[in-house]
Amino acid sequence: MALKVLICDDSIFVRKKMRTAIESAGVTDIVEASDGQQAVEKYKAEKPDLCFMDIIMPVKTGVEALKEIREFDKNAKVIMASSVGTQANLKEAIVAGAYDFLQKPIEDAAIKKIIDRVKE
Amino acid sequence: MFTQFFGNYLLSNNLVTCEQLSEALFPKTPHRLKLGTIAINEGLVTAEQVEIAHRKQQQEDKRIGDVMVELGFLTSEQVEHLFSMQHPAHLLLGQSLIDNGVMTNAEFEKALGDYKREYSITDDDIRNENEMSVKRIMEDFYGLADNSLKSKYVYLLFKNIIRFIGDDFMPIMKDKYTNDVTGCVKQAIGGKENILTAYYSDDAAAAGFASRFAKEQLTDNDEYTKACIGEFLNLHNGLFAVNVSNDEGHELELSPQEYNATVPSDKIDNSLVISLRFAFGDVDFFVCV
Repeated sequence: MALKVLICDDSIFVRKKMRTAIESAGVTDIVEASDGQQAVEKYKAEKPDLCFMDIIMPVKTGVEALKEIREFDKNAKVIMASSVGTQANLKEAIVAGAYDFLQKPIEDAAIKKIIDRVKE
Repeated sequence: MFTQFFGNYLLSNNLVTCEQLSEALFPKTPHRLKLGTIAINEGLVTAEQVEIAHRKQQQEDKRIGDVMVELGFLTSEQVEHLFSMQHPAHLLLGQSLIDNGVMTNAEFEKALGDYKREYSITDDDIRNENEMSVKRIMEDFYGLADNSLKSKYVYLLFKNIIRFIGDDFMPIMKDKYTNDVTGCVKQAIGGKENILTAYYSDDAAAAGFASRFAKEQLTDNDEYTKACIGEFLNLHNGLFAVNVSNDEGHELELSPQEYNATVPSDKIDNSLVISLRFAFGDVDFFVCV
């Protein structure tokens, strides 16, 4: 199954690292966004199968973007990624409908595991 | 972390110059730990005994371990054990200083002993990087209150620098900044505490720091390099927020990183400035609680 993945992070460094990891997991159709607002717009335009979303971002936070994406597509698979892996943040993401939560720095193996799970 | 502060101890006690310490910390070719240095550190022999063994070794074509056993300074079991041990990094610093002719074995032995006594550090503390002992040295160096928020922040910063960048650095004291500092990577932390954190270095050091973090060879201080440094700051501040949440039960909120940011001089006056010297240059972290 060929997947389309949306990466949303305000850091060009993180986007590059994630793109490399996602490509290594066999996905070539990758779209990027650099803030929460762009993520919502790109999600609606591209309808990806999976989205990796940073939480701390300018313009619109990852959690705000997640809520809007879930309003648009209640089956959206959005994986939240943050350096702040507190119980409160985890809970907020899950309540907002996150598919999973990854603590930064993100291991390539964790990305592959999620992609494999979605492929199934 | 003992090694980083031990280097500075030697410097502040005028036992080495800054150039000699830099040469030893960042050698062009790595030095190899010698049996004598290890045995002194373990308290099995004295510096004088090592000198005697070295003189005897120069007259005979024998390995230093065999000479030490012949002289009755060590047993062959001890020699075997010393070679198989994991050695703390400060010993390699000492070896470099001895090999470079900056210190004798006896001077190094005395300096290490004085350092351990001054900070009440045991060999086990060093071997296990005992948190309490490291914090005590760090708090003394930066004049931080015992177990304060700043102390916790700086301790974690050192741990994360060793984890993500490397352990080949030493803390240095620089002249105070008197003007605004521009060209920083900055991240604000809010919530119950308001903390301003920032990174500053020249372009070459920024490229060196980011290269280590990204595990890529970067040469310019461009958007990508700044993003690498920003991500380091974000990871460190995120881990700090997790610790505060777990230990003190309140949540801190991180703001997005700012690039080409300015730390105004009035903020600098209230900031702790952590200056670190790496082979690629000096980097500064500002922490204003």
